[in-house]
Amino acid sequence: MSVMKQTLRRFGSLLRRNTVERGLNEEIRFHIDQQTEKNIRAGMNPVEARRQAFVRFGGVEHMKELTRDEFRPAFFEDFVRDLRYGARLLLRAPGFALVAVITLGLGIGAATAVFSVVNRVLLSPLPYPDPDQIVRLFQIDSNGRRSGNVSEPNFEDWKNGVRAFRSMAEMSAGPEPVSFGTETEMINGADVSRDFFDVMGVRPATGRTFNADELRVGSAPAVIISDRLWRTRLGGAPITTLRLGVNNSVAQVVGVMPAGFDYPSGSDFWFPRELSPPQTSRTAHNWWVVARLADGVPLEGAVAELSTVSKALKRRYGDATWMSDATAIRLREHLTATARPTLLLLFAAALLLLLIACLNVSNLQLARASTRRRELAVRLAVGARRGRLARQLLAEAVVLTLAATLVGLAIAVGGVRTLVALQPANLPRIEHVDVDLIALLFAMVVALVTAVALGLTAALRASKPDVREALSEGTRSMAGGKGSERVRQALVLGQVALTIVLLAGAGLLARSFINVMAIDPGFETVHALVVDTQWTFSNDPLVRQRRKAVQEEVLRRLSAVPGVERVGLTSAHPLGTGWFSNGQFIEMTRADELQTPADLQKLGPEVKSRAGNAGFRIVSDGYFAAMGIRVVRGRVCEETDGPDAPHVAVISESLAETKWPNQEAIGRYIQFGNMDGDLRGFRVVGIVSDVREISPESVPGPLFYGCYKQRMASRFYVVVRTDGSTAVTGAVRQIIHDADPDLPLQIRTIEDAFDRALAGRRFSLTLIGAFSVVALILATLGIYGLISYLVAERTREIGIRLALGAESADVLRLVVGRGILLAVAGIAVGLVAALALTRLLEGMLFGVTTADPVVVGTVMLLTLVAVLIASYLPARRALRVAPIVAMRSESVLPAPPGIGRGYFLFLTLARCALGLVERAIGTPRIGLEPGRAGHRQHVTMRAVLRNAVFRRLAPAARMEPFGGRRWVIGAGVQCVSPEPTRRVLRPAPPT
Amino acid sequence: LQGTLDMLVLKALQLEPMHGWGITERIEQWSESVLQLGQGTLYPALYRLERQGLIRSEWRVTANNRRARYYALTREGRRQFAEELAEWRRMSHAINLVLDASL
Repeated sequence: MSVMKQTLRRFGSLLRRNTVERGLNEEIRFHIDQQTEKNIRAGMNPVEARRQAFVRFGGVEHMKELTRDEFRPAFFEDFVRDLRYGARLLLRAPGFALVAVITLGLGIGAATAVFSVVNRVLLSPLPYPDPDQIVRLFQIDSNGRRSGNVSEPNFEDWKNGVRAFRSMAEMSAGPEPVSFGTETEMINGADVSRDFFDVMGVRPATGRTFNADELRVGSAPAVIISDRLWRTRLGGAPITTLRLGVNNSVAQVVGVMPAGFDYPSGSDFWFPRELSPPQTSRTAHNWWVVARLADGVPLEGAVAELSTVSKALKRRYGDATWMSDATAIRLREHLTATARPTLLLLFAAALLLLLIACLNVSNLQLARASTRRRELAVRLAVGARRGRLARQLLAEAVVLTLAATLVGLAIAVGGVRTLVALQPANLPRIEHVDVDLIALLFAMVVALVTAVALGLTAALRASKPDVREALSEGTRSMAGGKGSERVRQALVLGQVALTIVLLAGAGLLARSFINVMAIDPGFETVHALVVDTQWTFSNDPLVRQRRKAVQEEVLRRLSAVPGVERVGLTSAHPLGTGWFSNGQFIEMTRADELQTPADLQKLGPEVKSRAGNAGFRIVSDGYFAAMGIRVVRGRVCEETDGPDAPHVAVISESLAETKWPNQEAIGRYIQFGNMDGDLRGFRVVGIVSDVREISPESVPGPLFYGCYKQRMASRFYVVVRTDGSTAVTGAVRQIIHDADPDLPLQIRTIEDAFDRALAGRRFSLTLIGAFSVVALILATLGIYGLISYLVAERTREIGIRLALGAESADVLRLVVGRGILLAVAGIAVGLVAALALTRLLEGMLFGVTTADPVVVGTVMLLTLVAVLIASYLPARRALRVAPIVAMRSESVLPAPPGIGRGYFLFLTLARCALGLVERAIGTPRIGLEPGRAGHRQHVTMRAVLRNAVFRRLAPAARMEPFGGRRWVIGAGVQCVSPEPTRRVLRPAPPT
Repeated sequence: LQGTLDMLVLKALQLEPMHGWGITERIEQWSESVLQLGQGTLYPALYRLERQGLIRSEWRVTANNRRARYYALTREGRRQFAEELAEWRRMSHAINLVLDASL
């Protein structure tokens, strides 16, 4: 019969336990009766016959027990009983239970929440077929810099030249105006080339992809939309009835992508790239390229081939392309690249926290184990097997962990929600995060194993020594198992060390955050609005002219709005979301040197020495003032710099310094025609301060500003500096709407953009900070628990010491000193670990090194204070012990009132600190005073403090120790020297 | 030897269903009183064999009009007994060969 069936039978017997039990009894009775009858027949008297029958049978109860083991599911039953017993024990010690459950729950919850996010964002595959075959292609320039923006001719050459990819597509993503009938909104979308859907391996859930006709210019345009847009904005109407205004045309919706298709992230529509004119410049880096690996081609092979092709292109086109090499990266890796360090950091922190929580609970378990020695000894004495005891302890641990897991689950649910709500912009797919049950299970097992295994082994070891000794060991024991005490000290030390690591990490992140906040970004962050208008690029001169008029009208009306201080236009603003175009310029001898693009080619090889690189921005005259960018020298664009006047430009300080060091930059001519196609040169008329455009911590790049009346840009933002009144937003919206009703608007503040730029930092700082605070609390609790336990165990000893005349402060020092020793050791270990581990943080630090003295000092101080508090509280309890009470019993009574607690705290802490200093550098002497015997003696700080205590404590007379009394405080060992303290009674000094 | 006890019990039941006391008597009788079962060890063995499906039990009334639990071999029990017997024979034969080996 199978084991399974037998087990089922055992469980079956549970249901009819009484029947089985009655049957067994009857059977035994029958057996004894038969034997008795047989004995009687053999000639015994009935009484003797019955007795002999029992003798022959053996121990009835023992045999019943053995028989029961055969039919009932013993292990299971016992376990259930143990669980019940464990739960009862926990309820009987609610303080312990509460602390342990909450502590473990915190650890489990934090680890689970963070892992859920890590799993979803970093580990789970993208929701596309064979997602690891999809790669993003990057070009590499001669300086080795990687860029995901590729020029179209290079893309075409890759596509035709590299065999390792089955399909390849280019795309350009971003918000674009989309009109739904009469309304226009900014919607994220992408222009994608023909093979895009092949590369992704996804077809529309409804409808179809673009057909060949729809990819030809001049045909009826078509668009594919996202499930999200279809359901929320378009109400899920049949797609044949849906038309959207996209790209200055009305496009028929031909397909709806499946829900969950989200590439490029946040896109709601996909439009054929083929419907806009091809780009022929190899330096117009406007396209992202994705590709799908051909079957059986490893990524390395594809990268090698791509690199070969790209190098050949470089040889062929030379300076016409900036690409000198190329590489491919799996799409998943690319998407998670920015999030990975943050998440891994968080994950590490959460694991540390879990570990600290486990150490804490182990400690509690150990403390309980030593108090349960008697109970366990009794169980052993009455015949329990050691394995059975282990099982019982395990069951208790399971109860504890289950309860903690429930708490952890609640915390994880809340935690995941918080993480999603904090939603730092760089976490892809975070909105789909749920609590990961595997993670919960994992955390639970870690908790069970670490927190419990320790308690278990300690309990078992505690039960091992002579049972008789353990039983007879009364309440008057001086100390519990030295071994378990040492383990507990190690645990507390570990907690302190881990806490230091977390605190140091949090401290470094906090300093970095403060440093970033303190940076001068080169512009004013407060009271500035940015209006993202969709004045998109147009080649039509009439459209451009009309648009200029609208822009001027808007600027004029805006400056008249009350509350508006300055108004400006720019093609890209700092911390913005749009393109930061960047290009190569050439210094010329005169503004009109070049007339046609062909002239550019005629320039000799010496042009290289005259070339430079800068960001290219087109701004209005008010921009610098509106943005708060300082004018260093010269002037900025002015009203008079109209279309027909000579073109002028303003450059940033760093451009001036790098391009013309120690020379005058103003007055030079610059050719920047490759950016906007206009070959007229600029004359530099002014220099402005540097701006950190990408993020507050980025290095400011060289910038070149042209004037908006003279040059055109593909897009304009209106920057409005206000006096802080919020009413301005409405007015701005109204004015722009009046000027151009079709223009969709997005109004943001620079402050928001600044906040967003810091969001990632704030996210990690908040979480790591929270984790380290929890860790500190747990470590404090751990020390508090350990010291309380020590005090409770040594109450009687302390009583004796007090009775013999030990100073209260000395008792305090004895107790608190222990805590401090632990803390100092923990801090030392923690600092070493922190120095090693925070190196992993280096990429996230700003303006601070991992060994920052301020951070290290603060962390040390914080921990020390926490430890002092944690050990002072139990120490104070020890001090209140009335000696006689302490010697008679273990109970702890408060001392008579009248002694100022604050004063004591101060004295105790001061003496503790002093003790440590003395230990390290010897007794500090602070002066000389007349000694008792008439000669001068050294006055120590210690003596001063001691006298201070005495003046409070001894009203009439005092006992003063002298002679060879000393505490020996070693690693975990403290005792009184064997030489007894001699005391003399002296009259109190006159007050 | 636990296995031995199980085998003896199976053997005792081979002829007819019997109650626990009867089994001890039968074994004692067959072994010419050499094997006196610690009677207490019998019941765990019976419950075990029943759990393993080698025997089954039912309540019957004895000749003296008392209720007793009778155990009977199942088909699987007979098969198991045959196997164990063969194994036992093989082993004891082998042991005998060793012990009887002429020096």
